[in-house]
Amino acid sequence: MTDTSEQAGLVRELNRVWANLPGWGSLSAVNHSTVGLRFMVTGMVFFLIGGMLAMLVRTQLALPEQNLISVELYNQAFTMHGTVMMFLFAIPVLEGLAMYLIPKLIGARDLVFPRISSLGYYCYLFGGIIIMSSLFLGVAPDSGWFMYTPLSSNTFSPGPGSDFWLLGITFVEVSAMAAGIELTVSILRTRAPGMTLSQMPIFCWYILAMALMIVFGFPPLILASILLELERAAGMPFFDVTAGGDPLLWQHLFWLFGHPEVYIIFLPAAGIVSTLIPVFSGRPLVGYRWVVLSIILTGFISFGLWVHHMFTVGIPQLAQAFFSVASMMVAVPTAIQVFVWLATLWMGKVVFRLPMLWIMGFLVIFVCGGLTGVMLALVPFNWQVHDTHFVVAHMHYVLVGGMFFPLMAGLYYWLPLVSGRMPSQRIGQWGFWLTFIGFNITFLLMHLTGLLGMPRRIYTYEAGLGWDWLNLLSSVGGFIMAAGVALVLLDLLMHYHFGRKASRNPWHADTLEWVLEQPPAPYNFVSLPRIQSRHPVWDNPELGERLQAGEGSLASIEHGRRETWGTDAVTGEPSEICQLPTNSWLPLLAAGTLALLCISLLLGWYLLALVCVVLAALPLFRWSWENGGHPTAAPLTQEPPGECLLESRTTDGPGRWGMIITLLADGTLYLSLLFGWFYLWTASPQWSAPDAGPLSIWGLALSGILLTLASLRFRQQARRLARRVDTGVLAGLWQATGLGVLHILSLIFVLWTAPLAITESAHDAVLFFMVLFLLFHSVLAVIITALQAWRTRLGYVSAHLPYEPQVVWPFWLYTTGIFWVSLALFALLPMAWGPSP
Amino acid sequence: MKHTKKNAIARQPGISTGHPAQLVIGLTVWCVWFVVVYGSQAVACKLAAPDPIVGAFNPINLMLGLITLLIALGLAWGAKTCWRSTGSSASATALNTRQAWFIARIAAGLYAVSAIATFIVLWPLLVLPPCV
Repeated sequence: MTDTSEQAGLVRELNRVWANLPGWGSLSAVNHSTVGLRFMVTGMVFFLIGGMLAMLVRTQLALPEQNLISVELYNQAFTMHGTVMMFLFAIPVLEGLAMYLIPKLIGARDLVFPRISSLGYYCYLFGGIIIMSSLFLGVAPDSGWFMYTPLSSNTFSPGPGSDFWLLGITFVEVSAMAAGIELTVSILRTRAPGMTLSQMPIFCWYILAMALMIVFGFPPLILASILLELERAAGMPFFDVTAGGDPLLWQHLFWLFGHPEVYIIFLPAAGIVSTLIPVFSGRPLVGYRWVVLSIILTGFISFGLWVHHMFTVGIPQLAQAFFSVASMMVAVPTAIQVFVWLATLWMGKVVFRLPMLWIMGFLVIFVCGGLTGVMLALVPFNWQVHDTHFVVAHMHYVLVGGMFFPLMAGLYYWLPLVSGRMPSQRIGQWGFWLTFIGFNITFLLMHLTGLLGMPRRIYTYEAGLGWDWLNLLSSVGGFIMAAGVALVLLDLLMHYHFGRKASRNPWHADTLEWVLEQPPAPYNFVSLPRIQSRHPVWDNPELGERLQAGEGSLASIEHGRRETWGTDAVTGEPSEICQLPTNSWLPLLAAGTLALLCISLLLGWYLLALVCVVLAALPLFRWSWENGGHPTAAPLTQEPPGECLLESRTTDGPGRWGMIITLLADGTLYLSLLFGWFYLWTASPQWSAPDAGPLSIWGLALSGILLTLASLRFRQQARRLARRVDTGVLAGLWQATGLGVLHILSLIFVLWTAPLAITESAHDAVLFFMVLFLLFHSVLAVIITALQAWRTRLGYVSAHLPYEPQVVWPFWLYTTGIFWVSLALFALLPMAWGPSP
Repeated sequence: MKHTKKNAIARQPGISTGHPAQLVIGLTVWCVWFVVVYGSQAVACKLAAPDPIVGAFNPINLMLGLITLLIALGLAWGAKTCWRSTGSSASATALNTRQAWFIARIAAGLYAVSAIATFIVLWPLLVLPPCV
């Protein structure tokens, strides 16, 4: 298509189909650009609040024996500073950046589950507001950002502070999980045709690793938060030694999340560095394969380090040695990347524009932080500086150097894409140098303060301990850094009005986002490209014009659907067309009711909480209803022969991948529960188990058989549909539903008749939680299957629309699997092990 | 017959060396091994802690060392297999084959690092008693 009027018509129609609703209607937007920017702007607001809390802490510590603020407020300030920066700033901002960029980088029109993007944002926003409200109500959590038990338990934190943290953070984590699942599937299954794994922009490898790390890293903390909230609200003693629990279980679960979290933050930032250095060096990245290797290595090894946060809790030396070695090993892949960056700079002709200043700052600070990390991996040194300001300094060198500096580089780099304007070089340079100098004054000296023995988190200190001048300078440095950040933000805000217009692709970059309009249209590409190299824009500078002229694929919009390619995970060859949902209020409604649930739990209004659960389920099920062959999605029509089918007409699309990735996350939560069970069994000092298990083995076995029959019946229908046969499917789905209902009733009976003392014994509390976990999955499977039966009756599932049961089947398989594993490990194995003393 | 990428990658038994699963198998084995070694050491110490005077040469360390050695050797074999399958790159023109080569090369590195990472943990087992 080259005719200008036709082209204008196509663009007009694309805009109509992809535009957000005007005014308040924009709250229903699901488009990745809009949602990604919302994430980033909200994250920056939380960053400012977190920064002000840091200033409060530094002011209090500037001079010895001060009492500018109360002890209580000080404790709340440092707790909220860590919480806000880690959970409400670092991860969401990077997720937002990834959500904004990934479709543009991979040549897609949107992320694969746009409504999930929107739900994730609202969960994050509401969760963040709930946590922050505790600060303004004067009841903020004050046990430190990692909320160690028993300090955060009822005995030592009787107020609602811990509850705000536990419920709010869990809410925010739903958002992170949503982003993790969506980014994983989008990168693997919706790349532009021809974009093989080896031709993916390096940033996508980093985000893929980050997204998968979220999928596996967050569930342990979600579980820990649920368990601690159950202990606080319902008295189930998971972390109470006197009832057979163990506070160290919290530390294990927290750091199983917490250490990968550091790399979840670092990897996308390193992705920015690996993207920018080649652009400003004017040459491809040296050692692309080495970087991919080191990304995967970092992703895995970071899960084997969690105990190095617990070297002082009394773990045997041999076990400490395992984690010490692993902690040192993780420096290897990071070092590979540093050498790759240096080699690329060395072999290129470097242009020192504003983003490169931040990259150079990153290299200096992060390498220093990495070196102190290796020092902390050594057990004897770790013991010496444990809980001192040395650790605080190390953490800030790694996190600010490893995340904030690259983030600023990235923001400056992609600013012309977002706004179409250039930032001010002069204000930007002032901002950088003030931040860089202020940061190093604050935290370089803090290493020394820590080595001189100043513990972290103390409210004040005596004069004459040798810490006075160090603390004063650290505080001064903090304010210099704050001035730098303020200048950067001022520059970012002012450039929208005063920045000069940016030329197309102002940095001469090689990746696809720079062929787009500046700012990009909501559909990104008028037509989608075919990729033949790792540097499509360097190899084909006219690519943007050709795509804009409709010379790529999917250049038709008469159907009125939002579409992008579904492609093979390895070769990038098209396999189906994904129909993407349009603007929807359902995510806002679902997140809103979930926020109400959260608030009612905080207030202890459990009846209202129950109502909120039902209310939240309604938009979520309605959401699942408007899919596939539903008239609002993609009703069954006669597609031209020879074309790729729409996803709902296939048997294996990105939706199925989304289900499988979700189940991986769910499975990680279940494994964390198993870890907790075995940990308490073997390590809790007062663990006690009855001679005979409280749950009826025969009752469980019968329930399991019913579940298995339901699962098999469902599988049979899914297979029939996959063979494009729909005879008897409706009856089969109802039978599966019926069998599932019988299974649920029998499981409830087993639970009802079990003599469980859930407030007196950690053993019984864990068993109770395990059965609830199984029940939740079974109920969900049955409801979904009933909906599938109903949809079959209405013709939304049929021989021509066989997709949805293929998506649901892995859920049945998983539900059945965890049931039998639970029966074996929670009920049968303890019988073989014998009673505890 | 000349050993080319195309035929070598296609000839592997089980999961082909060019399958994307190879990118995660080695490190997944490493992770599982790591948790098993840490967990079983804790359980063994709970059930039958050896006398610290015996030092590093005790049944727990021997068993963990043996498992570690076997896993390290298995991972090293994985590295060798993936590396050999990549062979010469001259005839790798087909899209699938190019991708398989890319994956097999990276997988070889990942298996090798996993093997080294496993092997390194042998030395604490040689010098430290398990339950002190």
